[in-house]
Amino acid sequence: MTITLNLNGKPTDLDVKTNYTLQEALQFKLGLTGAKHMCNKGVCGSCTVIKDGRAVLSCQILAVECDGSTVETVEGIAAQPKWKPLLDAYCKWDAMQCGYCTPGFVVSAKALLDSNPHPTEDECKEALAGNICICGTYPRHAQAILDAALVMND
Amino acid sequence: MLRSFEHKNAKSVNEAAGVLELGNAALIAGGTDLLGTLKDNILPDYPGTIVNIKTIPGLEYIKEENGTLKIGALTKLADIAASPTVQRKYTALAQAAKAVATPHLRDMGTIGGNIAQLPRCWYFRKSDNRFPCLRKGGTECFAATGENRYHSILGGWKTETSQCTAACPAGTDIPKYLSQIRAGDMDGAAETIMKVNPMPMLTSRVCAHFCQQECNRCQKDEGVQSGATERVVGDYILANADKFYKAPAKETGKTIAIIGAGPAGMSAAFYLRKAGNKVVIYDTKPEAGGMLRYAIPAYRLPKDLVAKFASLLEKMGIEFKLGAKIGDEIKPSDLEKNYDAVLYATGAWKRPVLGFSGEDLAIFGLDFLVEVKNWMDGKVGQEVVVMGGGNVAMDVAVTAKRLGAKKVKLTCLETRDKMPASGEEVARAIEEGIEIDPGWGLSQVVSENGKIVGLEVKRCLSTVDASGRFNPQYDENDKKVLTGENILLATGQGIDLSYLDEKYQIQLNRGRIVTDEDSNETSRPGVFGAGDVVNGPATVIGSVASGHKSANGISRYLGVDYFSYANASNKEYVFFDTEGTKNPIGLKLKELDAAARAVDKEDSMTPELSEGVTEAKRCLNCACYAVNPSDTAPALIALDAKIVTNHRTLAAEELFDVNEPSNTVLGKDEIITEIQIPQPPAGSKSAFTKLALRKSIDFPVVNVAVLVGVEKPRIALNAIAPKPYRSLKAEAVLAGKTIDEATATAAGEAAVADIQPLAATKYKAQIAKTLLKRTLLGTTE
Ligand SMILES: Cc1cc2nc3c(=O)[nH]c(=O)nc-3n(C[C@H](O)[C@H](O)[C@H](O)COP(=O)(O)OP(=O)(O)OC[C@H]3O[C@@H](n4cnc5c(N)ncnc54)[C@H](O)[C@@H]3O)c2cc1C
Ligand code: SF4
Ligand code: SF4
Ligand code: FES
Ligand code: FES
Repeated sequence: MTITLNLNGKPTDLDVKTNYTLQEALQFKLGLTGAKHMCNKGVCGSCTVIKDGRAVLSCQILAVECDGSTVETVEGIAAQPKWKPLLDAYCKWDAMQCGYCTPGFVVSAKALLDSNPHPTEDECKEALAGNICICGTYPRHAQAILDAALVMND
Repeated sequence: MLRSFEHKNAKSVNEAAGVLELGNAALIAGGTDLLGTLKDNILPDYPGTIVNIKTIPGLEYIKEENGTLKIGALTKLADIAASPTVQRKYTALAQAAKAVATPHLRDMGTIGGNIAQLPRCWYFRKSDNRFPCLRKGGTECFAATGENRYHSILGGWKTETSQCTAACPAGTDIPKYLSQIRAGDMDGAAETIMKVNPMPMLTSRVCAHFCQQECNRCQKDEGVQSGATERVVGDYILANADKFYKAPAKETGKTIAIIGAGPAGMSAAFYLRKAGNKVVIYDTKPEAGGMLRYAIPAYRLPKDLVAKFASLLEKMGIEFKLGAKIGDEIKPSDLEKNYDAVLYATGAWKRPVLGFSGEDLAIFGLDFLVEVKNWMDGKVGQEVVVMGGGNVAMDVAVTAKRLGAKKVKLTCLETRDKMPASGEEVARAIEEGIEIDPGWGLSQVVSENGKIVGLEVKRCLSTVDASGRFNPQYDENDKKVLTGENILLATGQGIDLSYLDEKYQIQLNRGRIVTDEDSNETSRPGVFGAGDVVNGPATVIGSVASGHKSANGISRYLGVDYFSYANASNKEYVFFDTEGTKNPIGLKLKELDAAARAVDKEDSMTPELSEGVTEAKRCLNCACYAVNPSDTAPALIALDAKIVTNHRTLAAEELFDVNEPSNTVLGKDEIITEIQIPQPPAGSKSAFTKLALRKSIDFPVVNVAVLVGVEKPRIALNAIAPKPYRSLKAEAVLAGKTIDEATATAAGEAAVADIQPLAATKYKAQIAKTLLKRTLLGTTE
């Protein structure tokens, strides 16, 4: 069936099967690989997208249930000059190693800054509590977000 | 990738319920639990349709109305955690919602889905239904003796009647009486058995023990030897008979005639007398017991035990009229006139006509057993042939051997693996040197000069036809003669109803009395049937059950109290012995040496009580030992919440259950619509604490919710039992007390007072205790 998303700011029609998750629809139908197919169990956060303002796990949502939703992926965030400071801060603080988990973290961070432009370190940690990094880059993420917040609020 | 399904966006609760009602459908809310179960395909059935309830308007809200907090079932956990009202007045719930999983999952997961989520047991969750356990329609719990460190410390919960109990024709609650034996409560064990079987000292000796064959342990090592444990309890009952066979305290004034003093008649008599009726048992034989007394050899069932049991019934006030000829002196119509109800339990004693040449020369096996005394002193001959493959045939063959026959050959239509006799009995026959030569049918008795020299048999090719009906086929060209001086036939028994004279109209079918499925009432009001006369030749325990059924039917007919045909209840926590279950070897009865065995001495000995206890400890008490994993459940129970569905309103505590596979009592088309919480009184406080391996993502190892500062404090813990656990003991400790180090510690101790951890869950008790103490002390800060 056909669903319409407001995807990264653009109305997008998608032909999906009922058994597609949102993650699978993004990857297989649109070639968007930012939301990763990782644990596929709702555990790791690599598939995080922002749906109707909330950071959620695209692997745990049926695509058909997103008809009419607003969805942002890491690709959309990266394309906006407004969020360049966040990406820059991630690079500056080297908040990644293999990088597989990074898009999920960045999307969670963006959702946090949307609702809370001046987060504390604890609030950063809490917002990222659903993202797992096997490489152990955790301490760098809060630093990057706090740094980005400083730049963005300048 | 998910397997395909149809997807429906429901517009109303009714519409969603309608789809669920059709079956093969699952409801999706946030989907965080459901999609996981579908992706891994953990359940035996995959839903054909998924009904989305997120499209139903008006199910997502948090509001206060008339002192009650109302939360729509679709409200996201994140919103509950963030609500200032919930945080301030219903603190435990806000804290519990905040403790679930991760921020992302809380932004997706709903409160309705949180309390309705499925178990997290790893066997249960293993992909592709690799472990089809009790919660999925199987019979076994893999966690009970497997990996169970996140499982229960308060025992298991049965989803249905245990396998063993279901296999018992009388429905004996085997795991229950075994747990009573373990607890040293022999009177309790006796009562549990006697609820459905008044003569365990007899049945334990003669039963085919279907329960043992069906025991789940059989898949690992040896089944629990419930025949042996029943015998221990049976002999305990005999030794303490005064306790168990009391005359009733009150008489009903009703009179019942029972025709037939076999297991069915005596079972019915016991239950009817217990309820206060006057019971008279008639039997043509000089002694009571029927097949127990006359047919089953004394080496299996000593006759004095049967006599003792009958005397106990007499002590209860049951009258035996033995040597009575129904049909001759006493007419069925007279019985009907003189008694309020009549029960026919006359068994199956008749020699069937088989129709082969020389049939008259052969001896009916049952008569042989009844008249065993006449066959002593070598009269049985040197060589004997027995025809038949059932337990009676084994009895006949072994008896013939013990009477002195040098050679006993047993043959039957069936092949070895299809012989109807129980494994135990076949093994006994072989041990005694019976030559079993299966797969032959009767051809003719061979005689020379009027003297039997053998039995000619013909090859049996098959015993049943394509439709499963008994219809043996033979190879007439494949014949042989089994030599022997006596031919004993144990190929079934017929039912003799000649005592019912022609004028007496009662519905029969193929020579059996027809009775009602539930009551055992015949076509004549007030006249009942029980045992073999109704069901055809079957088992002793089957007759006991049938007699009990009739007793209930008669009681209902007479409008008097009765002892319900009790089935095991599944509504309590059950336990097993984590050490004792490791014992792979079942209890074997001690037996006389082969040389010492005779026709009139019991072969086996009743085990010691201590041996019975050891065997009882081998029972796994098959139940689910998983825990309820929900974080919000205990908070809702502590806050005394109500769960509103499209059908009813339940107290939070009543919502939870242990089903296949769900954790709730919700019916197939039942949908949670709202949670209601009464505003806790001023001055009260509620709190929730959770311990998980990692603070984020992980399910609780233990969690605790409390409501204190109220007249009746409420304490609930989760992840320690198959259902969220409300600790009434801890509540009692705190009632009327202020919370301090001492009372908080005492409450913690009380909360774990009833635990019986699994092998790997002991540590949880310490956590539960400490967590409760800390949570309580936290409310004083
Ligand atoms: C990685 C991970 C970690 C988790 N950690 C925790 C945890 O720490 N603590 C915890 O408590 N839970 C945890 N969960 C379990 C669960 O996903 C969440 O608790 C969530 O609240 C479930 O809600 P949902 O709306 O997503 O449920 P769904 O998945 O939509 O539904 C769950 C079940 O409930 C039924 N259901 C849903 N709504 C209703 C309704 N209104 N009426 C009747 N039946 C209904 C569904 O049919 C389904 O069987 C975790 C899940 C994951 C994937
Ligand atoms: S604990 Fe329950 S869910 Fe787990 S294997 Fe046993 S029966 Fe199944
Ligand atoms: S282990 Fe116990 S409860 Fe389970 S089937 Fe055997 S006797 Fe019954
Ligand atoms: S892939 Fe979605 S949470 Fe891991
Ligand atoms: S950077 Fe490798 S998993 Fe996070």
